Amino acid sequence: MSTTRREFIRVMAAGSGALVLGVRFCRAGRFPTEDFRPNAWVRIEPDGTAVIQLGKTEMGQGVQTSLPMILAEELDADYTTVRVEQASPGPDFLELGTGGSTSVMTTWEPLRHAGAAARAMLVAAAAERWEVSPDSCRTSQGAVEHPSTGRRFGYGELVADAARQSVPESPPTEDRSRNTIVGTARKRRNAADIVRGRAIYGIDVRQPGMLYAVVARSPAFGGEVVSFDDTRAKQVRGVREVVRITRGVAVVAEHTAAAIKGRDALRIEWKDGPGASFDSDTHRVTLEQATETPGVTIRKDGEGRAAMKRAAQTLEAVYHYPFVAHASVEPVNCTVLVEDDRCEVWSPTQTPNTVQRVAMAVLQLPDTAVRVNVQLLGGGFGRRLNYDFDWEAIEVAKAMKGTPVQTVWTREDDLRFGHFQAASTHRLIAGLDTANRLVAFEHRKATTPHNIYRPPTPEQTADPDTVRGWAWGVYDSPYAFPAAEMTYAAVDAPTPIGPWRAVFSPSSVFARECFIDELAQTCDRDPVELRLDMLGANDASIPSTFEIGEDLVERQRMRRVVETVAREARWSDPAPAGRAKGFACNVFHTGTYVAYAVEVSLRQGQPLSKLPFTVHRVVCAVDCGLVINPAGVRQQVESGVIWALSNLKSEITFHAGRARQSNYSDFPVAVMDETPLEVETHIVGAEAAAPNGLGEPTVCPFTPAVVNALSRLAGKRIRSLPVRAADVSSR
Amino acid sequence: MSSTEIIVNGVHHLVDADDDTPLLWVIRDILGLTGTKYGCGEGSCGACTVLEADEPVRSCQTNLSEAAGLSYTTIEGFAEKPGADACQSAWVEEEVSQCGYCQAGFLLEVWALLGRKPEPTDDLVEKTLNDHICRCGTYPRIRRAIRRAASSRGGK
Ligand code: FES
Ligand code: FES
Repeated sequence: MSTTRREFIRVMAAGSGALVLGVRFCRAGRFPTEDFRPNAWVRIEPDGTAVIQLGKTEMGQGVQTSLPMILAEELDADYTTVRVEQASPGPDFLELGTGGSTSVMTTWEPLRHAGAAARAMLVAAAAERWEVSPDSCRTSQGAVEHPSTGRRFGYGELVADAARQSVPESPPTEDRSRNTIVGTARKRRNAADIVRGRAIYGIDVRQPGMLYAVVARSPAFGGEVVSFDDTRAKQVRGVREVVRITRGVAVVAEHTAAAIKGRDALRIEWKDGPGASFDSDTHRVTLEQATETPGVTIRKDGEGRAAMKRAAQTLEAVYHYPFVAHASVEPVNCTVLVEDDRCEVWSPTQTPNTVQRVAMAVLQLPDTAVRVNVQLLGGGFGRRLNYDFDWEAIEVAKAMKGTPVQTVWTREDDLRFGHFQAASTHRLIAGLDTANRLVAFEHRKATTPHNIYRPPTPEQTADPDTVRGWAWGVYDSPYAFPAAEMTYAAVDAPTPIGPWRAVFSPSSVFARECFIDELAQTCDRDPVELRLDMLGANDASIPSTFEIGEDLVERQRMRRVVETVAREARWSDPAPAGRAKGFACNVFHTGTYVAYAVEVSLRQGQPLSKLPFTVHRVVCAVDCGLVINPAGVRQQVESGVIWALSNLKSEITFHAGRARQSNYSDFPVAVMDETPLEVETHIVGAEAAAPNGLGEPTVCPFTPAVVNALSRLAGKRIRSLPVRAADVSSR
Repeated sequence: MSSTEIIVNGVHHLVDADDDTPLLWVIRDILGLTGTKYGCGEGSCGACTVLEADEPVRSCQTNLSEAAGLSYTTIEGFAEKPGADACQSAWVEEEVSQCGYCQAGFLLEVWALLGRKPEPTDDLVEKTLNDHICRCGTYPRIRRAIRRAASSRGGK
């Protein structure tokens, strides 16, 4: 932590009639190092309502519900009078962006302090008017009271005076045991709008005179337009214009259907780029080869892999994880109006500041001339941290000056031309002594780093501190090893690679947790007991915490989660006939601990598009630190489980630089009869001082828990995703 | 060029578009009712579900010419249907929605199911909803909401 405590709350816009505090958000315990610049505002209006204005995108994870809960608690306001307003980027709102499951983590502390500061200032204002000491006043549900005289002011009546008070150095925050809002289950704010069809997503933006566009892009990665003939496209009823943009050719029409029909009628000659020979089968071989030797070392315990020479025998396994797409049900889209000296963007983005910069660059406009309105997202999952769709839409609108244009990606576009979760290969090696005790451990990961923003340089891919940050789930393995070495090898691919729910973790955790299960089988140990041993449950010499990179891994929190699941799932009882149990756990790099126990049976005769098994029971324990809204936690666990189920059935494969899949029929995601009836969630550690985030961590250990059960049912280890019927047939 | 008459939420519209224009885009882009969602355009996600009379249909798989003269209800007009409220409040009570994008399709499909079968079995629920996709994973809550809606409709 920085030694000089920097300012992160300041009175803004004094004299506006409202009490406005500028707030600076940053990760808990880390203070901003530069000068004060707010990235959120807390405004208490003369009518007593409170507004949090910030740049966190609602994408189903519930920030519009949890953040008001935090503020209401500390402000002592009626929760129903606090709301969130989506901020647009500008000089006052730098660094907006929603990703990495950090929304609650980064806002918790500043928001609490803002609430407490505002409350203290309102109390001071009331005390001044009554000419009493602030200590003799108290607050209650949006009002300051003076109990001994029975006097009372609503917050709204005090805001103008409160704005003239100085911001207290360290306002007293609520005693957490007295919390009445934080930690209680609250319903999602926009639930009623959704069931009435009134929630407006990016794709629902409608502006007067607006047109619709779709873009024809190079079928293979990196190709370019040589020439095109739009004669037939322009004959399609409703087509208004055909425009050339960097990535291809856009058809602009009166409605989306006409734009699609126009695009079908385009004739385009493409020149293939270097990506046109890319094939995912060949790539898989390359990845596997890259694990034959160790990559860059990102963690070394004891002697590292040198200790392997003391092993009497080794267990070695290679795990494969495929390319995967996001496939959120709302495809990406963006609406843009370009005028002579200004531009307005309506985007379902997770990264509005980047969108603003792209518009400024394409249109040569200053930041003050570009307004970005962040829309509700029909699922984010990391896809909307990319700005490819905004960039295209800005180019289209530039060619259509004066007319708002919505550029929509069809589902086919979305699956073929977006960015992907990278395929990866993991080679795990365990060295055992003659008594089957672990003496050395290796985890080598080979994969493609994110390349959608700026492809990494050779210096970066050789730098341990840099690549460690790309290897969640490998370097931060919570287990203690007598000796271990974790390595990472970067392998190039022409496919766009970028964030996907839980980012670098799912593949690493899949491989690691399945391999631990193999290890348990080899050593004839119970997989939960073996894990607890490796987490130090029976060995006081194993440190209960350790630091690696920027992370703190707390083994005792991991153990508690593991033990909770084992107990609640009655792990040691045999599975019912025809079923097997599976277990896995993980600490996500934000400090969230999750474990699953599942019960699975095989399902025969399923078509290829369906999972060849049924998950009957899911028991989850989660420690995500302080819980703001337990209802939200349960939702995120269910969501993570079902997301991971899709991961067990679908992949994107490439041939000749083209994705073979193009819609839900060939990239099938989990549907109702494949999902468990109930997901049993046990929240532990909720008494912690700060929250750790939950949108992503629940995904990672579910996949290996299921695969571990399936491996037992099939009588052979499954080391590759997706899981097909042939993988689980024992004959 | 001729125009085609369709009725949406009780309102008559004359639509100027090609006969093969999917009803989905007519509703969303021409009539401006955006509650009906696009998810796949191939009939596999259910986001575009609307009611024709009381039957759920995929508006992305229905051409304007097939829709001529017919009467449709979208999520915006859903509240007018008897029993709609039981579904909508069950959805809110069980906190089904996450991003919410897919939910209009589920709601209309479920309402029609409860109309045919006031107390559907788990099996029937699965069969009916298997071609609806929710990427946020709200299926367990949808099951619960269906049970709640069924009991509050009292088997009517
Ligand atoms: S958009 Fe019609 S079924 Fe998916
Ligand atoms: S709630 Fe997001 S897709 Fe269903």
